Amino acid sequence: MPREIAVLDALVPSLLLVFVFSLLLQWAVDWVGGRYGLYRYVWHPPLFRVAVFFCCFGGLGLLAMQ
Amino acid sequence: MNARQETASPRPWLMDQLRETALDWLYVGKALLAIFIGGWLAMRMDLQQPATTMMTVALVMHPASGMVLAKSFYRAMGTLVGCGVAIALVGLFPQQRELLLVGMALWIGLCAAGASLYRNFMSYGFVLSGYTVAIVVLPVVQHPLGLFDSAVMRVSEVMLGILVAGLVGDVLFPQRLRMALRQQLADQYSGFLAFVRGSLGGVLAREALEEAHMRFVGETIQVENLRSSVVFEDAGVRAHSPRLRQLNQHFMEVSTSYQTLHHLMNRMHAPHHRDTRDRLRQLCVFTATALQGDCQPSPEAAARLSLALQQTERVLPGKIREQRQGLTSHRELLDFDTGAELLGRCLQELRAYVQAYAVLRRPGVATAAEKEVVFQHGNDRLGALVSGVRATATMLVMGSFWILSGWVHGGSAMMLATIFTGLFASAPNPSAVVRQITLGFATGMPLVFLCQFLVLTHMDGFGLMVAGTVPFLLTGLYLTTRPTLAGYGTGYVLSFIYLLNLHSPMTFDPVYVANEAISQIGGVLAVAVAFSLFGNASSNGWLRHRLLRQLRYQVARACEAPLNGLRHRLESATRDLFMQIMVHAGPRARDWLPWALSVHETGRAVVELRRRYIALPLAEQAAVAAVLEAFARLYRGDAGKQDVAHQSALLALDTAMVTVTDRPALRQLHLLRLALLDNGSVLVATPTPNFHSHQEEAPHAP
Repeated sequence: MPREIAVLDALVPSLLLVFVFSLLLQWAVDWVGGRYGLYRYVWHPPLFRVAVFFCCFGGLGLLAMQ
Repeated sequence: MNARQETASPRPWLMDQLRETALDWLYVGKALLAIFIGGWLAMRMDLQQPATTMMTVALVMHPASGMVLAKSFYRAMGTLVGCGVAIALVGLFPQQRELLLVGMALWIGLCAAGASLYRNFMSYGFVLSGYTVAIVVLPVVQHPLGLFDSAVMRVSEVMLGILVAGLVGDVLFPQRLRMALRQQLADQYSGFLAFVRGSLGGVLAREALEEAHMRFVGETIQVENLRSSVVFEDAGVRAHSPRLRQLNQHFMEVSTSYQTLHHLMNRMHAPHHRDTRDRLRQLCVFTATALQGDCQPSPEAAARLSLALQQTERVLPGKIREQRQGLTSHRELLDFDTGAELLGRCLQELRAYVQAYAVLRRPGVATAAEKEVVFQHGNDRLGALVSGVRATATMLVMGSFWILSGWVHGGSAMMLATIFTGLFASAPNPSAVVRQITLGFATGMPLVFLCQFLVLTHMDGFGLMVAGTVPFLLTGLYLTTRPTLAGYGTGYVLSFIYLLNLHSPMTFDPVYVANEAISQIGGVLAVAVAFSLFGNASSNGWLRHRLLRQLRYQVARACEAPLNGLRHRLESATRDLFMQIMVHAGPRARDWLPWALSVHETGRAVVELRRRYIALPLAEQAAVAAVLEAFARLYRGDAGKQDVAHQSALLALDTAMVTVTDRPALRQLHLLRLALLDNGSVLVATPTPNFHSHQEEAPHAP
């Protein structure tokens, strides 16, 4: 993946797109967790949410920047 | 034993105090940490104004993590929209400073008006999308080509601040707003049940009803406010959010019906009503027995109570038939039926409320019926227009002054004035808030001088810079946790961060700081002037009366609006409007409480009547339509000048009661008629002087 992508003729770092995508992904995971009450099994839900986000962003970012 | 108890009591008190203090300092520590992490990251990333990031953190930080996330979300939205509009506006008028200024002022006015139509942080998002335009455009007004970079910078700085604040607020020792919501719901539940249990078979004068009503309105609105923020904090609550709405809706419905029941009983004080009233009272006493059980606010107890209520609901019709025997005259039967039906409705709604409370935390999906519930806010459009005009006018006046006088720092004054006129447009008593903020600014400025030119000049590196600024910020942040000094503390922290304008490499320019300080004070004073010229409903009696008018107008809406979902909208909008009146009028709101009660009662009866409307034959429909029309006119007219409308409503009611044969519709008509004739109600312009003593002599139950 190139380092920068032209969105409407403005150069945007492609990591930013990955970031936004990871946010959406995390939001979906969060929704499922809340919907089925999965957070009951988690010690510190906010920390878990952040960790999920960092896993998504880190993994996808590394993949994209390969 | 007494002595032992007394010596034992200070310890929990002390522990509570210590706990509260510890929580306050925890918040201060978290805020400081977030501010400096934000500042450091912004400097590392070479953003133009790390101060914006730090300011964002300071603005969105709140002890409860749900509040931080909610405010962050709307701040992000507002910033994005504002930047988009800034680019569009400069694209339209790149060479014309005056037109650009007018365009900006209009947009900001529009946003300020929009802000007063919404509550909580949604309103904040509107204000923000307004003034972000000014923040983005002003620095590049001389060289429009730099606009895009300015917008990108602003977005980056704000987003960075939001991320840092959200992370620190939510992950590091969060204080859960969810707990506050749970506690609030439990208090509401046990408070209401205790109120019903204590009064269902007993005496309740109008004053006590009014008192309770005020409390219930406050609780309803508070639950709705908390709900709108907790959904950002907790995915579980977000999934159950429709259920919470539903619970609140049931609470509103049952409190309206219960109050109507008491009014009805209070109205039957004449001797010829005594027999009917005694029979109804028997029914009430019977119903109250169901509530003698466990009223603890736990889901299990609520489930048991709901079963007990269901049982009572099943037995009640038999009891009603039993009491109905022996009543002969048409009038008595109608009185009795109306009361009995109302009691049945109360019981049914109470059961629904208790049941909703019982299943609140049970896992599962929201049903379609729960999703339909809406909480509608009531608004005065003219009030919104006033806040729009206020924001536009402030910006135009300050902007013209800036351009005409050639004041180099006039832009900052204009910007600050615009920000604060938008932010405090719907605050209760904005003049007092602005006064506190001004004092905060005035305190912050000399301290910035002290910090920047006496302390920071000796400091080298980020660590020492933090050490040099922490003592100043610490005091300000602690002040924001004190309820009475919150405005002062906010002003102090904002002016401190804004004026200190930390960046890397740091530059020290006393002349610049002094000029900025003067323009800031000018800006804040302009806000004070704007609010004293165009006050909001807190200082403007006319706007307050408009709110009351809007409240009465809800009955007209109940008569005319489409029936689908009308009950929900009516219950929430009337409460929201009354809450606004309470917020702006303070203790004076009590004078208007009778109107709120009358609107609730009549509005609900009208809705019930309209639900029967379709089932009626044509001739009866016409009579009912005439009643609806007359009531709409009665509540639309001015308070105190409704004699004619009152007479015609009474006439329409009498005609309809002769024509209509459908029993449920007839009961609602009777209810409306009693409400219309009640001497204690605000609808009767000249209450008989001995009414109150009469009511106290003959309470409807011992």
